[in-house]
Amino acid sequence: MAGGIGTGDRLRAEFVASFVILLLVAVLPAFVTNAYWQGVVVVSMYFALLAVAWNILAGYTGQFSLAPAAFGMIGAYTTGLLSYYYGTGAAIGVPAAIIVSGGIGLALGRIVLRLRGPYLALTTLSFAEIMRLVISNSIDFTRGDLGLNVLGIFEERLAYYYLILAVLFAVQAGLYYLLRARAGLYLRAIRDDEIAAASRGVKIVWWKTFAFTLSAAICGLAGALYGHFAQFVSPELGLLSQTGIVISMVVIGGLGTLVGPVGGALLVYVLSEFLRDVGNAQLVVFAFLVIVFARFFRQGLWGLLLAAVGFWRARPVAPSPAAK
Amino acid sequence: MPCLVIDRVSKSFGGVKALDAASFSLDAGELVGLIGPNGSGKTTLINILSGHLAADSGSVALDDEPISGLRPEVLARRGVLRMFQLTRAFPRMSALDNLLVAGCALGLPQHEAHARALGLIEDLRLTRIMHLDAAQLSGGQLKLLEFGSCFMVPPRIALLDEPFAAVHPTLKEIMAGFIRRRHAAGQTFLLVSHDMPVIVELCPRTVCMNAGRVIADEATRAVLADPVVIEAYLGEAAI
Repeated sequence: MAGGIGTGDRLRAEFVASFVILLLVAVLPAFVTNAYWQGVVVVSMYFALLAVAWNILAGYTGQFSLAPAAFGMIGAYTTGLLSYYYGTGAAIGVPAAIIVSGGIGLALGRIVLRLRGPYLALTTLSFAEIMRLVISNSIDFTRGDLGLNVLGIFEERLAYYYLILAVLFAVQAGLYYLLRARAGLYLRAIRDDEIAAASRGVKIVWWKTFAFTLSAAICGLAGALYGHFAQFVSPELGLLSQTGIVISMVVIGGLGTLVGPVGGALLVYVLSEFLRDVGNAQLVVFAFLVIVFARFFRQGLWGLLLAAVGFWRARPVAPSPAAK
Repeated sequence: MPCLVIDRVSKSFGGVKALDAASFSLDAGELVGLIGPNGSGKTTLINILSGHLAADSGSVALDDEPISGLRPEVLARRGVLRMFQLTRAFPRMSALDNLLVAGCALGLPQHEAHARALGLIEDLRLTRIMHLDAAQLSGGQLKLLEFGSCFMVPPRIALLDEPFAAVHPTLKEIMAGFIRRRHAAGQTFLLVSHDMPVIVELCPRTVCMNAGRVIADEATRAVLADPVVIEAYLGEAAI
């Protein structure tokens, strides 16, 4: 049977669209030679990784977590602390960040397994704030709000650019293959109706924990890469407002689609740079956009694009003998 | 040989005894009707058999092995599959995907699950709507889809809770025909229904419950003629 199982065509279109977006990002430095703007795109790819990770939970498994930024911070501090105390580089720090954030995600995932909706959101919110406060207040260990200097990986900004782009692409491709196989069926079944999924034999405990762990591990990976890129980590990485940005990116791009988080993150973050001059007006604009999208365009920009394509295809044309 | 043995199962919700030492058993290959007035404990019993509720006391055994307290997904893998009275499907997945979830979760290889899903879709006359999301299906089509989910892998026992409720007669006949064929092939069923003509037509044996207790358990026609059953449904005759 061609093309995996389940809703293969939809998923393939989303993956191809996200591939096109990443291809555009790959050729962008040929036109944008300004180091500052290249840095902006690097940070937007960091957010894209967080958004992709959050979408696994909220979009594909129906678990509305408020902890993606906190897991990013955990990943950043894992490699940051290793770098600060032992002088290790990214080769050890990044895998360690994936393992530590994934491990904490596994533990939290087991704890919140039976929680849904607002209860899950509140528990993950508490977790995120506790983690941030612990790091912020453990001054002897983490230097608190002073943050930590982290060893860089490259001299060249473009090297970071392509490293994070490659990681983002690898994560997208991995996710595409995961969602095309049984895992995609099970996760979407759990999202739609957990009780029905259990009654048909889906191991919901296993798959929910898996989604939570995977999401946390990707956040940790993103945070660690960001730490090496910025050569500095601070508790601000775990601020709730960062999670808010991630959520707005996914909602604007298209929740529960492969392409939505990537497109949304790049668009929202790059646009927000233009609004930086007017202070916090960017948050007002994005909050407004999230309300509009959540109310009127549940499928986000990707849904709007599909609707536009459908509209264009359905336009009246001269009758052709091949038409059904 | 008994396939499913329900032994003095009780369940209370606060002060209400939903099940009061209910006992009966099903032999392998039997098609047994389960009837009773609203609130008599039929759905509570199905919920306990399928692992969605824990019994306060008593035990349930499948093929001589105790299955009380197992989780729904574990029971599904042991072959206890159910339909819900209020239909449960995956609204944002296509009808085909809905069936694939059931097949893959029970261990079918993907190509096999796909082939069986297509077979069931044809059997249940859902071909026209197989690529629509479940949210776009009619109530009757959803019932058929959920019904089909129970047979991706022939279950040890199928627990059908009101499959015919609020379903068009044509769709009802599709389901009834399917049940007849599978029963003839040896499939074990417990069928909850308020639709007496269907119970009479399909089920050789019927169990009647009232107020959480089994009040009759014999051949279907005998159960329906039983004064205790008639009294449970219609209330005591005026003196």
